[in-house]
Amino acid sequence: MEGQGIIFICIFVPLIGAFLLPIIGRFMPRLRNILALLFVLTAFISAAIALPQALSGTPILWQMELPLGFTMGFLADGLAVFMAMTSSLVASIIVFYSFGYIEHYPNQNEYYMMVVLFIGSMMGLVFSTNLLLIYLFWEISAVCCWRLIGFYRGKDIVLRADKAFLVTVGGALLMLIGFISIYVQTGTFNLLDMQGNAISNAAMVLILFGILSKSATLPLHTWLPDAGVAPSPVTSLLHAAVLVKIGVYVYARLFLVNFQLDAVWETAVPVIAGVSALVSAGAAMIETDIKRIIAYSTISQLGFIFLGLSCGTMVGAAGGLLYILMHSLAKGGLFLCAGIVEHSTHTKDINKMGGLAKCLPITAVAFACCAFSVMGIPPFGGFFAKFMVINGAATSASPWVSVIFIIGAVMTIIYLLRVFIKVFFGEITHPDIKEGSWEMVSSVSILAALSLLGGIFINLPSYVTTFIIESLGRW
Amino acid sequence: MITFATISFLGLPLLAILLLNIVRKETGGTISINIGFVVSIIQMIAAVVCLSLLWLHGKDFIEFSLFWDMNATLGSARFSVDLFSLVVLFCIGMVSLASLLTAKKTIGAKALNYTNLLMVIMLGMNGIAVVTDLFSLYVFLEITGIASFVMIALLHDKRGLEGAFKYLVMSAIASALILGSLALIFTQTGSLVYGDVANALADWRNAQYAPLLVVAFVAFIAGFSIKAGIAPFHGWLPDAYQSAPASVSVLLGGIVTKMAGVYAIIRVLNSVFVSMPMINQTLLILGLISIVFGAVAACGQRDFKRILAYSSISQIGYIIIGIASGSLLGFVGAMLHFFNHATFKTTLFVNSAAVEAQTGTTDIDQLGGLQARMPVTAVSSILAFLSMAGIPPLAGFWSKLLIIIAVWQSASVAGGAIALAASIFTAAYFLILQRKVFFGPLEDHLTEITEAKGTISLAAVLLSIVTVAFGVLFPVILNFLHLQGIL
Repeated sequence: MEGQGIIFICIFVPLIGAFLLPIIGRFMPRLRNILALLFVLTAFISAAIALPQALSGTPILWQMELPLGFTMGFLADGLAVFMAMTSSLVASIIVFYSFGYIEHYPNQNEYYMMVVLFIGSMMGLVFSTNLLLIYLFWEISAVCCWRLIGFYRGKDIVLRADKAFLVTVGGALLMLIGFISIYVQTGTFNLLDMQGNAISNAAMVLILFGILSKSATLPLHTWLPDAGVAPSPVTSLLHAAVLVKIGVYVYARLFLVNFQLDAVWETAVPVIAGVSALVSAGAAMIETDIKRIIAYSTISQLGFIFLGLSCGTMVGAAGGLLYILMHSLAKGGLFLCAGIVEHSTHTKDINKMGGLAKCLPITAVAFACCAFSVMGIPPFGGFFAKFMVINGAATSASPWVSVIFIIGAVMTIIYLLRVFIKVFFGEITHPDIKEGSWEMVSSVSILAALSLLGGIFINLPSYVTTFIIESLGRW
Repeated sequence: MITFATISFLGLPLLAILLLNIVRKETGGTISINIGFVVSIIQMIAAVVCLSLLWLHGKDFIEFSLFWDMNATLGSARFSVDLFSLVVLFCIGMVSLASLLTAKKTIGAKALNYTNLLMVIMLGMNGIAVVTDLFSLYVFLEITGIASFVMIALLHDKRGLEGAFKYLVMSAIASALILGSLALIFTQTGSLVYGDVANALADWRNAQYAPLLVVAFVAFIAGFSIKAGIAPFHGWLPDAYQSAPASVSVLLGGIVTKMAGVYAIIRVLNSVFVSMPMINQTLLILGLISIVFGAVAACGQRDFKRILAYSSISQIGYIIIGIASGSLLGFVGAMLHFFNHATFKTTLFVNSAAVEAQTGTTDIDQLGGLQARMPVTAVSSILAFLSMAGIPPLAGFWSKLLIIIAVWQSASVAGGAIALAASIFTAAYFLILQRKVFFGPLEDHLTEITEAKGTISLAAVLLSIVTVAFGVLFPVILNFLHLQGIL
């Protein structure tokens, strides 16, 4: 089939390019930075090129026949391309932001290599049609995550990096046990060969462990707030935009596209998500560390995505996809703004900040836009996503679940406003600080603008997500 | 060609021992190491040549003899190489090479003794790989064992002598068990040649003295379990590995115990005890105990080499359960894991040698942040550990996966799940070691440390390339094995 090259470019340019970066970085740090951005942008552009064909109904497929049901392949269907575009877009902005943020620290070679490798594995994961390939890229991303969280090398920082690695790898191993039980049943790891199969509840539980650990959902969420010790672009990349979306993506890939689930999961998963959303929103209300607040908020918002994808209605699922996009943009922006604040004030404690809007006006506006989007204030993009998800849940088999999430949404508004007011208004604590570098400020402005534009021109993304979900032919 | 290649496995180390002792003792150091290089590289080449000939002629095995007529009837040992023994012979060459590369930097004045012993140990291991009867197996086991006792105590230090003594005692018990078992089998079957014994044992339940045979099996498994260091027979192993000189640990951890224990078990299980499910079940349980125990115990260690020793116990468990699954897939998985284990464990022992050579200690509490100073060692140890923990796309993941699928399908679902879930402990001690030695902040007293340059780094790099290449190219290997009709 034509166009397979485009998938390979999308996956392997960042994946292989990552290993060139440390070599180049030894001689030309500037060129390394630009190449890193270029590799990630290449992934975005090639995913965008693959979009029309993905939506046309005959997606690009490449397969390598292997014995024992190990057949591996890459498939660029709507869901995959949508996810690839979302993550590589946000990742490009984050890499650009890193130019300013990271330039004074050691180990930059490793940093850029791991970031680009991480994006490459994300691209590989979204296009994979084989459970083993999914696991493979899943683990590569865990290794990158481990190195990136431990970037500053402090004793407790490395300990937290280890914690993140252990939790996600532990979850992934349970998931792999689930995969193998599916394999023993069906004789293949190839998803295309088992479309529409029913899946046993035991396998579902095991796989869910993996997904929940990666997407930081209760009870496997504790590594995410702890991982806030990483540099801000990393927290943004890993914990807002890309890494945590791996779990929800795999959920969509396996349980929306491929397997038939027992009806009980249409209630069970939303309930887990709901509890997770409420508990973490509560935690966000009492935390005082700005990055931990945003991290808890991520856990809470992931609950909404799970709700949308798992509630069993078309509107909900389309909303869930839209939520992935809007949340990546807005939450990525929030973390990057927090990075600027931290960079300028050298503290993460919101009680020690105040009145920063005066000195950091652009950051303040960008933070506000992103926060509004996460809260779900119209006309920001987040509103439409949240509306569709709750709408979908309200029309599902168990509409009462949506009540939990409405409470969760209200709590979101409260804790985000609390952060915003504490940090940017009130008594001025740091009178003589300056805005971040131009790379950093322009990055957050772009993300804020995209959150707003995504809401104003909601037609386009909502059309794409609805189309993707419709073409699955489930409803 | 083929005669030369096969004979080189046994002839070359013998020839090298002669050569080594012709040269003058004073100048023998570097020359002897170089002779060692030649022997190990030729062995790797010979293994590859034999493998390709095997495939070219579509044969399952090649038989050969050393200096006598192969078809003479009584009292002459026959040798044979097949796919598995060739893979193993390649591993022996590879690990010996890595050990020599390490020794070149670390062994100093003992170079001649070391190389002599290495040749003896290679002879012993190659012999284990190619023999076709139980008695010759025993002879070569002893050769390997005795050479390794001396090697552990090579530096005449107290710790080395202690480790060697422990190994010697345990190994003697194992030898007694194995020899006793052979005697019982011989009285019941009248032969010790693999094929004959297998035929005679096909109907062993109806044999006149069936209980005696059961005793023989038990003694046999116990003996080889001691040699392999399978839990709960592992007591000697951590001490022996820890106290041996760096280059000897590479050899012991990388290949010796695997040859003397694991390979022998697999070979005998496959060619002698063909129809005995109870042996498989025993080994499955022992293997699972080893996997879990070794990995958990490794988490509690504070010495680089001891962590590696316990992780060896754990990884050997995977090879054992693979073979215990009794299926072809499990056998292939075990074979690949044997190879992978030789690669990544050797890498790690080379890394520990590098750390020891540069900092003078292997106590992980005294180390920290070495990545900044020793990047090659740090990166290769990460790759090797990830391979061991079964993180794809590195080599260890694939062999483990095959083993676990085989166990799941043919033996026990729970066994497969436990073996897989135990990988989390592997990840745990990997993280502990990385955090204490390489990741983390650089300790003040280590700021002057430099990378172990030269041959040690070369060994680490070469082995890492093998680990990565095997993992990334695994689909090709799988396809190839399939085309050859092996899978």
